[in-house]
Amino acid sequence: MDFLIPFTTSGSLVDCVDKKLLVVLRDGRKLHGVLRSYDQFANLVLEDTVERVYHGSAYGQTRHGVFLIRGENVVLLGEVDLDLEDDVPLQQVNLEQLLPFYHQENEERKVREAHKAKVLYDQKGFSKEGGEGDGY
Amino acid sequence: MLPLSLLNAAQNKPMLVELKNGETFNGHLVNCDNFMNITLREVYQTSADGDRFWKLKECYIRGSTIKYLRVPDALLDSVKEDQNRARDASRRGGPGGGRGSSRGGPSRGRGRGRGA
Repeated sequence: MDFLIPFTTSGSLVDCVDKKLLVVLRDGRKLHGVLRSYDQFANLVLEDTVERVYHGSAYGQTRHGVFLIRGENVVLLGEVDLDLEDDVPLQQVNLEQLLPFYHQENEERKVREAHKAKVLYDQKGFSKEGGEGDGY
Repeated sequence: MLPLSLLNAAQNKPMLVELKNGETFNGHLVNCDNFMNITLREVYQTSADGDRFWKLKECYIRGSTIKYLRVPDALLDSVKEDQNRARDASRRGGPGGGRGSSRGGPSRGRGRGRGA
């Protein structure tokens, strides 16, 4: 099993090179792009990147081009199955139409999370979340 | 082409840098190092909520505060060309030039077999 060890951390990304990936960042952003390169910190180079925002079963996207992502901001990445991608029951809509709903949903989530954190802290003896305000 | 080599190759190119706190910096890369510390010139700084702007002659950004950088699309292609040129040049320089191409090993399996 020794030969597996170098490929359990960022080395396992070797199979993802030149594949289309979904990358989720700590701030909740979802980026779709082709992985061109990475290093031992899992810093990533994505080509032809688009950022997608989702609301319900609709999504909108903006083109961003080449991204160099600092690895520590990545929550997860996964290969996109190009055959199954077309079957996903999501509908692409104009980003401008979607953004108001997206922002509203975000605001509501923020309020909900704040309330939850308050209850946990005040009544349940939990400590407060880290200052960054994200769930990861 | 490692991510940090790409950054090195992006010197004097325009780029957008977003910090972890959401602030963005638009400018031309002056210099960078292996910690991803960078200096930019002719910078437009934008606050995280996107409603305030500053213009800076030059600025230094500590690598650890960076979320991501956006570089020009053309950069990847030009870097690939440079690499090819360098490889051809080292080939013409005689055998033994360039680096070995045996990456990974044989039978590099994924996961483990049943009952292993």
